[in-house]
Amino acid sequence: MLTEVKNQWKVTRLSIQYALVRELLNKATFLSNIFFMILNDSCMIVQWIVLFSIKNNMGGYTFKQVLLLWGMAAGTYGVSRFFFKKSFNLSETINSGKLDAYIVQPKNILLSTITSDIEIAALGDILFALIVYFIYGFNMRTFLLYLFFCITGGVMITAIAIILNSLSFWFNNADMIADVGIRLIESFATYPDGIFKGITKWLLFTIIPIGITNYIPIKVLIEFNPYLLIINICVCLLLMILAYTIFSKGLKKYSSSNLMSARI
Amino acid sequence: MFMAIIEVKKLSKTFKVKIKDKGLKGSLKSIIKPKYKTVKAVKNISFAVERGEIIAFIGPNGAGKSTTIKMMTSILYPDKGTIRVLGYDPTKDRKKLSYEIGTVFGQKEQLWTHLTPYDNFKFFGAIYDIPEPVVEKKIEELKMLFELDEFINTPVRNLSLGQRIRCEIVASLIHEPKVLFLDEPTIGLDPVVKENIRTLIKRMNKEYKTTIFLTSHDVGDIEKLCKRVIIINDGQLVLDDTMENLKYHYLNKKIVEAKMKERVNLDDEDGITIIKDKGYNLKIEVDTTKRSVADALKLLNPDNIIDINISNIPLEDIISDIYKSKDL
Repeated sequence: MLTEVKNQWKVTRLSIQYALVRELLNKATFLSNIFFMILNDSCMIVQWIVLFSIKNNMGGYTFKQVLLLWGMAAGTYGVSRFFFKKSFNLSETINSGKLDAYIVQPKNILLSTITSDIEIAALGDILFALIVYFIYGFNMRTFLLYLFFCITGGVMITAIAIILNSLSFWFNNADMIADVGIRLIESFATYPDGIFKGITKWLLFTIIPIGITNYIPIKVLIEFNPYLLIINICVCLLLMILAYTIFSKGLKKYSSSNLMSARI
Repeated sequence: MFMAIIEVKKLSKTFKVKIKDKGLKGSLKSIIKPKYKTVKAVKNISFAVERGEIIAFIGPNGAGKSTTIKMMTSILYPDKGTIRVLGYDPTKDRKKLSYEIGTVFGQKEQLWTHLTPYDNFKFFGAIYDIPEPVVEKKIEELKMLFELDEFINTPVRNLSLGQRIRCEIVASLIHEPKVLFLDEPTIGLDPVVKENIRTLIKRMNKEYKTTIFLTSHDVGDIEKLCKRVIIINDGQLVLDDTMENLKYHYLNKKIVEAKMKERVNLDDEDGITIIKDKGYNLKIEVDTTKRSVADALKLLNPDNIIDINISNIPLEDIISDIYKSKDL
């Protein structure tokens, strides 16, 4: 079992390494992608600067806490898009029959597929998340927690992307459902949860679990709460299991395709 | 005593395909009330393959070849029937089976195009958990066998199609598979490169005793590589025989081309079909179930013949006839 994990890790590492080699072939594009993503994330902060110049408190959040929320959103997004890019276009992989190449390999199909490409711009998100954290204020304990939550959040968003995209095994055009679902999560990720009430708030902690991926971590970072930490870990594990189960069930419905394709 | 390395019994696979009427109205209707039809891609087929064989698995487009291969390689789940490849059930033992088989899909590229073949082979070595020194040795060995020396360090995207296919085959051989599935490996290649690939496949079969399961629309691939042929049409197995039997006994027809001193009229002769009659040059097809070749020669009159060539009916024609025949 341990050897299997070690071997899978080696393939995943090599896959990311080779994808990085490809991106580095054009250094100008590589660096500008990262730079412009940091710039894009930073620009979004401007609206909050304007809002906080009018009011000191937004939904129970101070400006620095909103900044941290932005950092968390960028960090979780960055982790999921950089390491697991293919989970976001898994529908296309399924519909075009590109899963064949991973099925005939003696490795975990889902993991091999989703780690087979990287999104360079997502590195900009990860860097932005780190910059924002250092502006918020460094503390070793919160820093480690912050990194941990970026990873669990990234994994949860990936799991949701897998679940939604796996619907392609059963329905045509499921990629549209997946796109809308992911956009919904991203849209809510940067707003303080205090501004949402009633059913919207309930939705954010259940169907659109941005509450678990972003709001709970911020609450734990502001004031440590072991119960909230456990909830975050449990939901993360639950979503991982659910994503894996749905993908595995769908795989039995996979119909492949004879479309010409290349691995680029 | 030979041992069956692949056993397929009563295998069936159906696909549910959505159908819609023409135009925008049809599209809207299909959203509200979708209609589906069931396409039987593979219907109750059975066959076995022995160790070291090179099998041609052929049929027209949409016959069910790729579907069958995909079921044998764990890509698709069968609806009915059983498959055993090297004793493994592809639906249950995917990982174990993957270590033992190799696949090359001519229409689908498995290699990373920005990497060199060497880096790709190292990556495939990692996929199959092969220790570094062993991979290095294997790459060296396959480099010699497949003559990759000139371009092993050139990025795949800069290789010609023929070079790329050679690399695809090598990548699928890194883990020394016992069975290699080749799905149209020579598609789009020029005749010289095709010949080269065929020689390499033959050499590989001889050197490593690899069982090769080949699908191809190229009669040359089938004729030059395979001793046995399985023909599938409309999802059904229509022929499973040796190449020799297929060529010499299946249609029992010979082509006779003769250069004559004088014209001969064979218009109403039973068992003889005139393919070409250019006066002194005659090309006829003799149905040996109705008339022997010797009889046909007598009709031509041996003293009247300047030159003669007797050949088997081209394999391509035999296969086309089998494809067209639905009552087999």
